[in-house]
Amino acid sequence: MPHVMISSKKCTGCHMCELACSAYHEGAYRPSVARLFSECNPTTGATKGHTCLQTGCAKCQQACPNDAILTREITVTVRGEFAGKEKVGDTVKGYVLIVDEAACTNCGECYDVCPTGVIHEHPDREVAFKCDLCDGQPQCISFCQNPHVLAVDLKVDKKDRDLAQV
Amino acid sequence: MDFYQGKVLRLDLSAGTATVEPLNMEWAEKYIGGKGLLLRYLWDEVPQGIDPWAPENPVILMTGPFAGTSVSTASRLVVGCKSPQTGILNDSYVGGSFAPEMKFAGYDAIIIVGESPEPVVVVIKDDVVEFVPAKPKYWGLTTSEIEAAMREDVDPNVKTLSIGPGGEKQILWACLSTDQYHKAGRGGHGALWGRKNLKAIAVRGTGTVTVGDAKAFLDDMYRIHSEYVLTEDNLWANEEGTPVLGQIMSDAGVIPTRNWSTGTFDQMEGINSDAFLKIRTKNRACYQCAIGCRQFHEVDGIAGEGPEYETIAICGANCGIGDIAALSRFNQECDELGLDTISSGAVVALAMDFTEQGIKDFGLRFGEVDSYVTAPRLIASGEGIGGDLALGARALAAKYGHPELAMEVKNMELPGYDPRGSFGMSLGYATSDRGGCHMRSYPIADEIVGGSLPPDTLEGKAMKIVWGNPAEGMIGENFSSIKFSGIWCDFWAITPDQIAQILKHAWKHEFTGDEVFQIGERVWNLGRLFNLREGVEPDDIPHKLYMEEGAHTTGASAGRAIGTETFKNALQEFYQIRGWDEHGVPSEAKLAEIGVDVRL
Repeated sequence: MPHVMISSKKCTGCHMCELACSAYHEGAYRPSVARLFSECNPTTGATKGHTCLQTGCAKCQQACPNDAILTREITVTVRGEFAGKEKVGDTVKGYVLIVDEAACTNCGECYDVCPTGVIHEHPDREVAFKCDLCDGQPQCISFCQNPHVLAVDLKVDKKDRDLAQV
Repeated sequence: MDFYQGKVLRLDLSAGTATVEPLNMEWAEKYIGGKGLLLRYLWDEVPQGIDPWAPENPVILMTGPFAGTSVSTASRLVVGCKSPQTGILNDSYVGGSFAPEMKFAGYDAIIIVGESPEPVVVVIKDDVVEFVPAKPKYWGLTTSEIEAAMREDVDPNVKTLSIGPGGEKQILWACLSTDQYHKAGRGGHGALWGRKNLKAIAVRGTGTVTVGDAKAFLDDMYRIHSEYVLTEDNLWANEEGTPVLGQIMSDAGVIPTRNWSTGTFDQMEGINSDAFLKIRTKNRACYQCAIGCRQFHEVDGIAGEGPEYETIAICGANCGIGDIAALSRFNQECDELGLDTISSGAVVALAMDFTEQGIKDFGLRFGEVDSYVTAPRLIASGEGIGGDLALGARALAAKYGHPELAMEVKNMELPGYDPRGSFGMSLGYATSDRGGCHMRSYPIADEIVGGSLPPDTLEGKAMKIVWGNPAEGMIGENFSSIKFSGIWCDFWAITPDQIAQILKHAWKHEFTGDEVFQIGERVWNLGRLFNLREGVEPDDIPHKLYMEEGAHTTGASAGRAIGTETFKNALQEFYQIRGWDEHGVPSEAKLAEIGVDVRL
């Protein structure tokens, strides 16, 4: 399934992805509510990306007692370049996990199981929030366009490719 | 209003209080943010004629309207005060992530006044401000140590602006550090923090910066990134970074070498870009910067970011050091101690010169590594020769009877460009509003790197110093003033038209390139008025840099001299272009024309 990954080796720690993510979803810049993040140590320069692996992981969905994590069809078309473009192609169809805010009770089960730490309680609404691939045009990838960097990447799980064609 | 938070945090260190005031939006409209808005606040906040060391002398942290958004490179912070080093305005810029974090915490600016009775750390978490005793845990820590301690004790995502031991000791060129390698380097803000007993400000912001229609804004910023930022004009900074300048400057006779005794360094291959590429480990970026110029290196167990060109020039060539490991060590020592590398290298080079000439034996000699690498620690501690070195180049040279050997302007040690190889720099240094600085106008871009103007004449240069040549990447004083009000990084060769396209988002009306230039001219004149009010030395540079007798006898710029009369005439031409009188005082007509709202 399509999902975003950040290459820790290539990531410069500019946080442009978090900025764009929050602007798209929150209607204003608020990276503390971004749906992905890069952890950076300024002294060593070490970076570590944290992104949602969507259906390839789905631990949040499995943990949810209220069936509030839904699987939705999505068509992803990235604006601009990304490292895996040749392999993945211009347009990827597949599934994405989204939060059904009407069903979510903010119980926190998913927060505890997420292996990358990218599903949280929204600070303004008592529901979970997570990456939804920006309705098919991931802003994080569009704002990582330095040709020498291209750290924020669109990936597709090989084992899931068949599912995408269902 | 979108982009601005509309709030100023005032920290009174004497009283231990924090209060919030509205940002003056009339000033913001006139002066935008960054440098311009800082200078306008300094005009009101600095008591006229104040001793820079007095508690009443404020330190102001100012962001730009675009910090915390997708405007590339606009994450910079400017720190301002009346400088204890120069006695005039000091605006010093730093990248990293501190300014966006301030914005997310809800503040456009922080004004620091007073003097804490005991060393203190100020912790800001959104609207909660705490004064934490710095002793015994934090006082004495190096810059990487205090940052790690704040991440541990406050919040893993906290951003820290701090002084190192050099600032605690109030060394005249102590700097402020953030994200470890980023320094508000020049003019002694760190010294003033030391005097104020302020070790660090640690800020964590979880709030919002609004921009109006965020999706439309994202679309426009995507366009601006593609068309203007990620281009060949800017990507050099990612690919090689400023070390690329080393060989170019040496070949052109511009790199200060062995305390400015020649302009070509015979060991340049040891510390040029090829040498740094061999030890490069990775490449990092400041917050919200798509370019990413921060080059990390590792050599002989010394790992970290930098050094940048100015350090390579002044701590390398100017000290006769062609040993990349020694230079990297010196750079790291300055970083950890919180000392500006340019001034540190300059005083060490001067002490080496004294030793070599038999004037005074400091135990430092050009090219001798072992004593050289110990110098920053001696400066910061005051031990041994450190007490003398900490006087700064001007006072040190005067103490031993050789003022002509100090290479400084208005008591700020000069950076890495010898005007004898690039004549325009003479005017750039003389008229810089904070003393010996290369970041106000950069004729090097046209005279040496771009090559469209001859480097060995001052003809036509006054105009370039004032207005620059932004289309070819050369900043002049007016243009740098608006660029650093944004606050855009110098490494984005942004044009007035591109600035206009971005300003439009904030102020919801069209700007022309000319209007952008005029804001810059307004800011520059405001700075001039501040300096005249506080008492500024005549605009001049060390005389050997233009006297016939001062010409180099070796290197690529040998035999070239500007000439004293030529220099003085060019300075008068500069004043005329500016609409200033022969002493450099702005005319009423000029101030009215460009809308400066204060008067002497």
